[in-house]
Formats: sequence, C-alpha cells, structure tokens
Amino acid sequence: MRLRASHLTKEFGHRAIVKDATFSVHPGEVVTIFGPNGAGKTTLIKILATLLKPTSGGLEIEGTDAISDFLDVRSALGVVIHEMLAYPAFTPYENLKFFGQMYGVKQLEDRATTLLAEVGLQRFAHEPLHIFSRGMTQRFMIARALLHHPSVLLFDEPFSGLDASAKQFVLRRVAGEQQNGKGIVITTHNTELGYLIGTRFFFMIDGKLEEVAQKDEITAETLLLMYEARLAL
Amino acid sequence: MQALRQIGTLVRKDLELQFRSKETLVLIFVFSVLVVLIFAFAFGPIFPERAERGKLAASVLWTAFVFAGIIILNRSFVVERSDSALHGIRLTGVDASNLYLSKVVSNVVSLFLLEIVITPIALQFLDLLNVVPVGVLLKLLGVLSIGTLGFCAVGVLLAGMSTSTSGGESLLSVVLLPVVVPIIIGGAKCTVSLLVTGVVDNWFWLNLLIGCSLVFFASAYLLAGVVIEE
Repeated sequence: MRLRASHLTKEFGHRAIVKDATFSVHPGEVVTIFGPNGAGKTTLIKILATLLKPTSGGLEIEGTDAISDFLDVRSALGVVIHEMLAYPAFTPYENLKFFGQMYGVKQLEDRATTLLAEVGLQRFAHEPLHIFSRGMTQRFMIARALLHHPSVLLFDEPFSGLDASAKQFVLRRVAGEQQNGKGIVITTHNTELGYLIGTRFFFMIDGKLEEVAQKDEITAETLLLMYEARLAL
Repeated sequence: MQALRQIGTLVRKDLELQFRSKETLVLIFVFSVLVVLIFAFAFGPIFPERAERGKLAASVLWTAFVFAGIIILNRSFVVERSDSALHGIRLTGVDASNLYLSKVVSNVVSLFLLEIVITPIALQFLDLLNVVPVGVLLKLLGVLSIGTLGFCAVGVLLAGMSTSTSGGESLLSVVLLPVVVPIIIGGAKCTVSLLVTGVVDNWFWLNLLIGCSLVFFASAYLLAGVVIEE
C-alpha cells in the first residue's frame, strides 16, 4: 500500500477543516477527491504531504508512520500544490538542479534536462520562473514533483488556470505515472477531468470525506449528478 | 556527509539568491553608508580626541551592522516564504537543524562581507583609518565576526518565526533588538577598547560577547526544529 490515512482530523482553533478522513491508495491507483472551494481539500493534501500536522489520526506512507517519522517519508512524495515550492528568481533548470542535489538524485543534469523536455519547457529551461505563465509554471511544478522518482504523487487542483493543451498534458502525465505503479491523490472540483484521470472517487464536503465508487462502477454522468445532488444538500 | 552536502547546497543557493538580488545589495550598502555619513556629519567633521573618535566609530559600526543585519535576515526568509520554497526544501527531507545551520552560515557570510567593506569606510570618515594598525583592524574584524555569529544565530530563528506572520518584516526588529542587547553592548565596548587603546582592556565585555553568542547559537539550534516544522 502506498498511503493509508486513518481518521485524520485537522482543527484550526475550534473549527474542524478536515473531519475523520480515512482512505488508502494502492500502487497504480489514482484517487480523485471532488469538492467545492473551502471543503478542506488543500488542507488534506498538506497533511498527506507532511507539511501540516493533523490534530488527530494516523498516516502511513510506504508502511512508515508519516506523523512521527515525517523526514523518512518525504522523499517518497511528489507534491504539486497552489504554491510553486521553488525559487522564482532561479530558472527551471537551476531549481531542478538545486532540489535534485538536496534529494541526492543521481545523474542530475541528465535527469533535469530530460524532465524539462518531457514537460515541454526545454526552450525556457534558462529563463527565470517569475516570467512564466500559469500553465508553464504548472508544467515546471510537475517536473519538480517527479524529479526524485517519488512513489506517491499528491496533486492539489492540477487543472486550475490551465488551457486545454495543458490540461491534456496533465492527464497524459498522470496516466503515465499511474502505469509506473505510483499511488496518486488528486483533488479537483472539475468532475469531467477528475473522472477521466481517476480510478476511485471521493467527495469532500465541509471537511468530510465520503467514498463514492470505483471507476468501473459509475459513469461520468452519474458521478456528476451525484456530485451536484450532494452539493445541493 | 549527506548533512554536510545538504548544508553546502543550501548555503550556495542562499548566497546566489542574495547576490543575484541587486536591489537588496544596493539597499544594504547605501543604508550602511548613510548611517556612517549621518553620524560623521552630526558629530564632525573635526574630532580632536582619538578616544572620542573611537567611541563614535563603535556606535556607527554597530548601529549600521545591526540594522543592515535585520534587512539581510528579513530578505533571506522573504524569498523562502513568497512561493513557499521553504516547503519545497522541507519536502526534500532535510533536517530542520541543518536548514537552520545553513541559514546562519549564509547570513553570517553576507553580513561579514558587508562589515569588511563598511568598516574601512567608517574609519576613514572618522579619521581613524590612518592611525589604527592593521593588527588592530584584524582584531576588530574578529570581534565583529563573533558578534555577527551571535546576532545571526538568534536572528535566523526569530526571522523564521516573524516572516511567517503578517507584518513580519517590521516585527523582526521589535523582537530581535531586545534579545541581542548583550551582544551589541559587549561588541560595542570591545570595539571602543580596540579603537582607543589597541587592545581589549576589559575581558568582561569580550567574555559577554563570546558567551552570549555561543548560548544564543546553541539554544537557537535546539529550537530550530520546532520553529521550522511547526
């Protein structure tokens, strides 16, 4: 099992943002979590990424307790969140080289060059990141997340602000990583793309995570109807 | 070995970012020279007594370095927070204490380089450069480097905390200055002593400077994990 979250709860003050979230991710599985803005998806992803400590509950990544031994599991994680997690004054190549050195990636220069070509940024490899558009930044963030061959990918709203071709790129890339046996968690409020990309679906409404179905048990139309009905409650 | 490699990589990255940001470099240099000029013209331009000039030089140097140091510390964390690059570093699995050490080293290097540039300029404006022997100048840089270590040791910790809050850049001066008072007093007294007599004639101030710097460094190192991870 790549990831197992059990009864995760996160409170800020007296307000619970994530309430008792329990789920697991197996190799080659893409868990898609649908939810409106403010549902707690980003907080959940940050807890899974070990960037936030949960108020209660457990988290295992690759069989290791990620709450107490968070330093040991971080190199197994590839994370894309709303923030860039990199230095805008550096170029994509410089950023990948820096983070690659920190991770201890072997044959780093080849790895950085190959990744930048794969995400379609080879022409901009030596331009500073602060001049990049949202779509180009998203491509870079995916390259940074994949740099160290992580086994678990956590993508928070990977489609937001992207044009059609960039969305297709994310879909293709996730499908490729799924075939490589990675465990993937994606949050989105886009049911169409979320259905295409996922293999198991959850709703997250007002901090509560509810399992909906496996992909072979439900059509995209039914998923959309269920989501709209759930939001209307 | 892995820890040393990570600290080296982080220090190189910090220094590269600091030296690439030309506007920050210019701001810090101009600010420090302005402090020197304001003091020199407010109390000068003629200083008859060497003792008087020595006391004034100590005030000028420590005032300039403390406030320039606050700008350097703030900038070094603002670049980490602006696009959550600090989270990116945390995700590499680096130990928080190694991250803290790298920040102390890069800030000490930056501030010490500024001190090497500004000290002769200040002494020249106060008619001291031609009367202070090279040996005393080197001892003065030694005193400044100990003070810089203590200042940055506690400054990195407090900058890490303050820049994560709203209005954190101005908050740093409010929380840092009261804490580093023993370092400023010890450093200034040693500087006066060196510039007036050529030696540190009262070891209490040097012991205070060294003692406080080491205690601050050790305490901040132990607390770094809590500050960075929480």
